[in-house]
Amino acid sequence: MDSLVASNIRQRPTRTMISVAGVALGVLLVVLNTGLVEGMLNDRIRRERGIGAEIQFGREAAMLSPSSSNPVDVRYADRLRQIQGVKQVSPVGYYVQSGNSGLGIEIVEGVEFDSYSAITGLKIVEGHAFQSDDDVLIDDFKAQHNKLKVGSEIQIFGKMMRVAGIYSPQIGSRIKMSLAAMQQALGAENKCFEILVKVQDPEKQAEVQQRIDAALPGNHVILTRDLGTNFGREIPGIKGFVRAVMVLSIIVSALVILLAMYTTITERTREIGILKSLGAPKRYIISVIEKEALAISLIGVIVGLLLAIIAAWGIERATTLQLEFHWSWILRAALIGLGAGALGALYPAVRAANQDAVKALSYE
Amino acid sequence: MDAILKTENLVMTYRVGSVDVHALRGVNLVIGRGDFVSIMGPSGCGKSTLLHILGGLLKPTSGRVIVDGEDMAAMGDAGRTDVRRRKIGFVFQRFNLFPTLSAEGNLKLAEHVHGNGKKTVDDETRREVLRMLRLENKMRHKPLELSGGEQQRVAIARAVINRPAIILADEPTGNLDSENSEIVLEMLQKLNRELNQTIVMITHNPEAAAVAARTIEMRDGTIVRER
Repeated sequence: MDSLVASNIRQRPTRTMISVAGVALGVLLVVLNTGLVEGMLNDRIRRERGIGAEIQFGREAAMLSPSSSNPVDVRYADRLRQIQGVKQVSPVGYYVQSGNSGLGIEIVEGVEFDSYSAITGLKIVEGHAFQSDDDVLIDDFKAQHNKLKVGSEIQIFGKMMRVAGIYSPQIGSRIKMSLAAMQQALGAENKCFEILVKVQDPEKQAEVQQRIDAALPGNHVILTRDLGTNFGREIPGIKGFVRAVMVLSIIVSALVILLAMYTTITERTREIGILKSLGAPKRYIISVIEKEALAISLIGVIVGLLLAIIAAWGIERATTLQLEFHWSWILRAALIGLGAGALGALYPAVRAANQDAVKALSYE
Repeated sequence: MDAILKTENLVMTYRVGSVDVHALRGVNLVIGRGDFVSIMGPSGCGKSTLLHILGGLLKPTSGRVIVDGEDMAAMGDAGRTDVRRRKIGFVFQRFNLFPTLSAEGNLKLAEHVHGNGKKTVDDETRREVLRMLRLENKMRHKPLELSGGEQQRVAIARAVINRPAIILADEPTGNLDSENSEIVLEMLQKLNRELNQTIVMITHNPEAAAVAARTIEMRDGTIVRER
C-alpha cells in the first residue's frame, strides 16, 4: 500500500506540487507571523527595558501599541517631577512610518536629548546630537545594518533628514529626533507619547508608581520591569492576530488539500473500484488516501519551514525587523500542516470509501 | 459434487426512475470446486449482474449466494467485502491494473489487501504463478509498458496470487486480439488444471466459452441452457 501512496504522489506531480504549496503556505504563515510578532516584541522589550527609567507614564490603550498619536501633555513632566521619589523625567514622542524597504514599520522617537540621555545613559559614539530640526540620531545596529553613517540621509515625514550622530546602546526605537521638531512636524504642540520616569531609589519604584497613580489618576503608569509580561497581553489584538493567522493557515491548507484530493479521487474513481474489487474494506481505502494526504502535508511542512527560514533571512537583511523562531511554534505549525492535510483529505476519503464498486469500476 | 458456489432463486431488480428492471429472475446455479464454467448470453441478459453478485459487489434483491459455505446475500457491505478479500479474485475485460504501479506493485497490493497488511504469499507460490503466466521478466514494467495480453496476464496473476476459492472473469478476452486471447484462455485453463482453480468466466465469444468444461447460457435474467 505504501508504494501505492508513493507512486500516486510521484505520478501526479502537478497535484502534489499544488497540495504541497497549500500546506507550505499555511506553515509559512504561522511560522513567519509568529516569528515576526515574537521577534518584534522581544526586540522591543529588550530595548525598552534598557531605557533606564523604572516607570513609564502615558495613556492606557495607546501606551504599548506603536502609534503616531501623541496623547500626553508634556506639562505632566513638571507635575511628575514634584512627586516624592521621582529623580528625573523625560517626555518621548512617537512617529510611526512604514519600513524603509516597504516591509514592516519603523518607529521614530522624539526626545529631549539632555533629559533622555541623562536617564538612559545614551552615548553618541560618532557625530553629535541634534543641532537642527532636520537632524536625527540612529543606533549602531541600524547604522551597520542599513550601511548608514554620519551625514547619510534617511526619509522621515516624507522628507530627507540627516544622520547627525550614531548612538549606543540600543535603547528605545532605532531612530531619534528632537521632540520639538517632531511636535512641529505632527502639529502636536506640547504633546508626547509617554514620559519616562527615573526614580531616586529603584527599590521603591512600586511605591512611586502608586504615588503617581494617586496624584495623576486616569493615566497609565507601568513599571518598565513588567514590560515583558505586559506586552503580549496589552497590545490590542495581538493574541487575536496570532490566532487568526493560525485559523487562516488551517483553512488555507485544509481547503487546498481538500480540493486537490477531491479532484484526485474523482480522477481515480476506477482505481477505488479496483481496490474494492480486491476486497479492500472502507477503512483501508480511507487510510490509503489519508496516508497520501499526510505524506504530501509532511513535504509541505518541510517546504514551508525552509521557506520561512529563507523569508526570515531576507526580511532581516532588507529591514531592521527581527524574527525569533521558537520550537513550540515550529511544532505547532507542523501539526497544523499535518492536521489540516488529514482534515482536508477526510471528506474525499470517506466519499471514496462509500462509492458504489460497480459504478466505480465502470467509470470512464 | 463439492459445491464451492451456489445460488438459490437469485433475483435482482433495479429501480430505474419509476420502472423496475428485472436483471435476474430466479437464478439457481451450483459450481463445484475446481470447475471451469463459462456464462454466455446476449447483452443485457443479466450475466454481468450475476457475476457482480457472485463477487459480492452487489447485493441481490432476494435469494441466496453461498460462496465456500458463506451466504453473501445475508451479509452487509462489510461482510461481502471481507468474503471477497478472502475468497474471490476478479479479472476484468479492461484489465483494471493500477497504472502508477509496476506489475509487481499490482501483485503486492493485492497481497497486502488480502493479508490485511501481513505477508501471506510465500515466495514459492509467487514464483510458480509467475512462471505459469510467463511473467517472470515483466514484473518491473508498468501497465502502459506492457501489451494488452501481458496486462491481462498480470491481472490474472493478481487474481490468483492469493489462491482464492473462485476467480470471476468478466470478458477476459474482450479487449484482446485473437493471438492474445488464445494465450489468456490457455493460461486460465492451465490455472484450472494445474492449481485446481475454480473459474467462472463471462464471455460473448463461443470459442472462448468452449475452453471451459461447462457452459451456461442466459437469457432475460434466467439460465436457459447448460452443456
